[in-house]
Amino acid sequence: MYSHDENYKKELEVDLLLETIHRITGYDFKQYVRASIIRRIENRRSIENAPNITSLIERAIHEPGFLEKIIEGFSVPVTEMFRDPSFFKEFRMNIIPILRKYKDIRIWHAGCATGEEVLSMAILLEEEGLLDKTTIYATDMSKIAIEQARRGIVPLNKMQSYTKNYLKAGGTKEFSMYYKTNSQNVFFSEQLLKNVIFAQHNLVTDQSFNEFHVIFCRNVLIYFNPSLQNKVHELFIQSLSQDGFLGLGNKESLRISQYAAAYEEISTDEPIYRKK
Amino acid sequence: MRKNMKIGIRAKIMSGYLLVLIMVIFAFFLVNNQFSSVQADKDYIIIHDFEVTNLSHQVEKYVLDMVRGQRGYIITGEESYLQPYNKGNTEWRNKFDKLYSLVNDPVQQAKLLVIKDNINKWIDTVGEPMINQKKQESNGNTSNYLAGDQGGATVDLVRSQFDNFREVEHELRQKRSDALNQNIDSLIQGLITLGIIVFIVALAMSTMVSRSIVKTINEVIESIKDIATFTNTNGLDLSRRIKLRTQDEIRELGNATNELLTNLEQREMHQRRISNTFNSYQGITSIADLCKVLISTISEEANTSYGAIYVRDFRSNRQRFVKSATFADGFDTVGRNHFELGQGLIGEYALKKRMHILHDLDEFQLIPSALGTIRPKGMIIAPVLYDGEVIAVIEILSLTNFSKSDQQFIVDVIENFGITLNSAKDREEIERLLTESQAMTEELRVQSDDLQTQSEELQMQSEELQTINEKLEERSKEAEQKSVALNQAKVELEQQAEQLILSSKYKSEFLANVSHELRTPLNSILILSELIAENAQEQSREEEEKFAKVIHTSGKDLLSLIDDILDLSKVEAGKMEIEYSEMNIDDLPNYLEMNFNHVAEQKGLLFNIVKDPNIQNLFCTDEKRMLQILKNLLSNAFKYTEKGSVLIEIKKVQNKNLEPIFADKEEDYWISFSIKDTGIGIPPEKHQLIFKAFQQADGATMRKYGGTGLGLSICQEYAKLLGGYITLGSEEGVGSTFTLYLPSFSEKMNVENTVITSLEEVAASAIDDGGLPLEAAKMNLIQVEKQNVLQGKNVLIVDDDLRNIFALEAALKQEGMIVTSVNNGLECLDILEVQPLLFDIILMDIMMPNMDGYETMQKIRSNDELADLPIIALTAKAMERDRKKCLEKGASDYVSKPLDLEQLLSVLRVWVSN
Repeated sequence: MYSHDENYKKELEVDLLLETIHRITGYDFKQYVRASIIRRIENRRSIENAPNITSLIERAIHEPGFLEKIIEGFSVPVTEMFRDPSFFKEFRMNIIPILRKYKDIRIWHAGCATGEEVLSMAILLEEEGLLDKTTIYATDMSKIAIEQARRGIVPLNKMQSYTKNYLKAGGTKEFSMYYKTNSQNVFFSEQLLKNVIFAQHNLVTDQSFNEFHVIFCRNVLIYFNPSLQNKVHELFIQSLSQDGFLGLGNKESLRISQYAAAYEEISTDEPIYRKK
Repeated sequence: MRKNMKIGIRAKIMSGYLLVLIMVIFAFFLVNNQFSSVQADKDYIIIHDFEVTNLSHQVEKYVLDMVRGQRGYIITGEESYLQPYNKGNTEWRNKFDKLYSLVNDPVQQAKLLVIKDNINKWIDTVGEPMINQKKQESNGNTSNYLAGDQGGATVDLVRSQFDNFREVEHELRQKRSDALNQNIDSLIQGLITLGIIVFIVALAMSTMVSRSIVKTINEVIESIKDIATFTNTNGLDLSRRIKLRTQDEIRELGNATNELLTNLEQREMHQRRISNTFNSYQGITSIADLCKVLISTISEEANTSYGAIYVRDFRSNRQRFVKSATFADGFDTVGRNHFELGQGLIGEYALKKRMHILHDLDEFQLIPSALGTIRPKGMIIAPVLYDGEVIAVIEILSLTNFSKSDQQFIVDVIENFGITLNSAKDREEIERLLTESQAMTEELRVQSDDLQTQSEELQMQSEELQTINEKLEERSKEAEQKSVALNQAKVELEQQAEQLILSSKYKSEFLANVSHELRTPLNSILILSELIAENAQEQSREEEEKFAKVIHTSGKDLLSLIDDILDLSKVEAGKMEIEYSEMNIDDLPNYLEMNFNHVAEQKGLLFNIVKDPNIQNLFCTDEKRMLQILKNLLSNAFKYTEKGSVLIEIKKVQNKNLEPIFADKEEDYWISFSIKDTGIGIPPEKHQLIFKAFQQADGATMRKYGGTGLGLSICQEYAKLLGGYITLGSEEGVGSTFTLYLPSFSEKMNVENTVITSLEEVAASAIDDGGLPLEAAKMNLIQVEKQNVLQGKNVLIVDDDLRNIFALEAALKQEGMIVTSVNNGLECLDILEVQPLLFDIILMDIMMPNMDGYETMQKIRSNDELADLPIIALTAKAMERDRKKCLEKGASDYVSKPLDLEQLLSVLRVWVSN
């Protein structure tokens, strides 16, 4: 008798689905953190009301647009403005003075999701008088997220916590200077995004496209397994200028990475690193 | 060991002591011997000389006794005197012989012989003859005694010879004692010399022995010191050995020390191997790397040829061990990939939790190498334990048997490896859990968003399903009904044709009416204006005024007619816009009184307004249209009533009292406005007719009372637009009651036209962009709200400047906010004490008398209930420091003066939104 273990079957189905995606799109999610990917697939399955993952595979192969839908579901666009305010404060206090000396500044937000972090960085740079000479490259693998980010719009009901974050992150002006509202949404000034280039970019499959002074990749790598993380770190190393900065999520660190030696720690509390 | 060649320290020391002892004994004998001879000499001198002297004296005495006895006998004749003579005669010879034998010196012997001769001579010549003579004389003769004188000389001679003898003897003695003394002196000298020699020999001996002992000991000490010094400086150099040149115990000591060193070296090597192994996996955190390093280190250190490590699959419940790292294994065929507890030899020993060593393997799988296969000889299976549990098993093979030290090395390494492996496992587990929990928190956040989205989707899906079902049903119904419909269509077409004829008839009628109605006032206007123009001079001022009034009235009539026509056409064309807003029903009676009191007075009618006090004052509808309906109905009532009264009753309506099709809808509540008059009334058959456009009860009536006849039509249409209806109760000649039923539609109020993007639009764009799904797009778009977020929110303005308050109040009231204002912090605290939970937000000026904004905020925040109440500080174009202070004191946000209304409203929306 063959195994009828439910877990085994599910693993098999997940493997097959990921292989399908890989073969059709070239996107390889096999190296993403397994548990997370399984949850995302399960989530999709329950939304689609599909009896099992296999039926998703069938639709992925035969139904146009369905595969993209699944892949979109893998992206976890959780973000907020001035997330981990202490990180932004640290950046403002210790990194900005160094960037100020540069003639022009290139910043890459890798995995910008719906753009809240980009807006935050733009506001910070504006307040430090550096926005005009900065080009921000904001990329995400999700097209929808990028489109959303491009609008510079955030939901009204998130703004109280964003305001608190802004104040904690050492904002020097009135936060309300930067936006207008209606009864549902908050519209950030277009001026903030004038030097931002939004583009779809997949950290796993796409190459480096410029040399940057700062790369932010916050709370993205936690979805990758160690070998994939190393691959992405290699991409960052290639994309960082000499003495460039790498900013990670507050619960991430370079400690387990192969590339830890290529960086020096700038801050004791915040995951900001400088390429040696 | 060359034991026969060995001369031990004991032997060395013993031989030294023995030599000294022998010499001492020898000296003792020597001295003893010397002393004996000296003693003998001394004894000889003392005894021999004494004897000689004594004997010489005895001989002399015996001779004298003989002399005295002979003389006594001669003289006396008494026989008794002969006794000493005889005795002396026998005795002296004995003594003499003795003496003679004692004397060695020939001169002295000669002298003694002379003395003997002389004594014998005396005896022979004097002694015997005289005695014999006396004996004879005793018989009578005594005269011959004279011969005795001769005998006396002989005795004297003997005596002197004896003296001489003794003198010589004395001299001889003197000589001998001198010789003795000399002997003693030389003896003493010899003794001293001997002592010195013994001392020197003993000293030499001891020096030699001690030197030979100390030298080797020193060598050993030096060696050990050297080793010890190396330990301190340059790591332990245990390869050094003590060089051994001697054959004694020191050699053994050296050998023992060397053995100790060898032992130490082995142990150190063992330790080094272990610490090498430990060091090799320092800093390695992953189990796989750890195993790889361990197995290769063991292979290197213990010189094994093939090794594999199986780590327990911690995630599986079964006791399953999976190959984690190998050495010299490049071939998949070599070694199992996993095994379970108790499976095979390795599984067996894993179960037994003990190490297993095999030597001289005969039958074992061959280890493949590049050029061939190798047959292993030794094998070790070693379970790695942690906390008494087997967490990994190592199997290693060697081409040779494992030495004791290799075995010990493996045992020690493995013993420690359990802890390392376990901590690596824990670390990996922690790392994994950490990553997972991070991912999960992220996801949870998404999921909460997702859930919201999902519930929306579910709703949408069920809606969709329902719609699909409905459509299907419809379709089947449609199919069924199609034939019926076709038939009906025919009938309808016929009816429509009829209606068309009717409506064209109505329209012609209406046009006729309208043209008449247009003409009538136009006429009067034209005429009167003409009159005025023509007879400008003749007319009195009074007349002119009258004309002007009529022209005005006519113009007004025209205007209202045109308005009505336009309104009606708009309604019919569906172009009428309805703007819902909140109105205060309490204001209505005043408004109506203001508009109709004067009409009532003019016509002498009573005008009463009765309002049910239970009605909520806020009523959501299009106020303008509603008033239009009421004004229309009231105008009609006044128009058709000549005497009596007009009454308007405003009541709340229970749903059950509504017409069935209007009941149970989603409106908030219903109000009825009943307008009762005591006018001409309407006959029942015309009740329906009067609401139709272009119709009136009676052309004549119309002309009598004026009006276009469009009023009720318009009212009816408006009522429909507002979601209500109008009923009529009337009796001809008694009066009419028109009742307007209207709902309050708070939901329809203020549908924002500026909502950025409707869901449909986004969805459409998303699909256009490449067929991507809706959900993600929707995730960040909020459900379209049906209400202005500021509407109905309570705001408390705390400001001492009344102009500011006035301006703010006006602006915020326009947004539908309920504004309360106080002039300083104390008042603010007072009002919050009374109604702590009333306000949604506070606008707080900072510079105020009595209690400023900082203090007020601080006090507010000290109340737990108000900890989260949004407070917006209104600061003057502030310094950084002021803003900081605001935040410290508890402000949620700040806006600086002069206020930008748009900005202020934005901030308010942010802080009152949920």
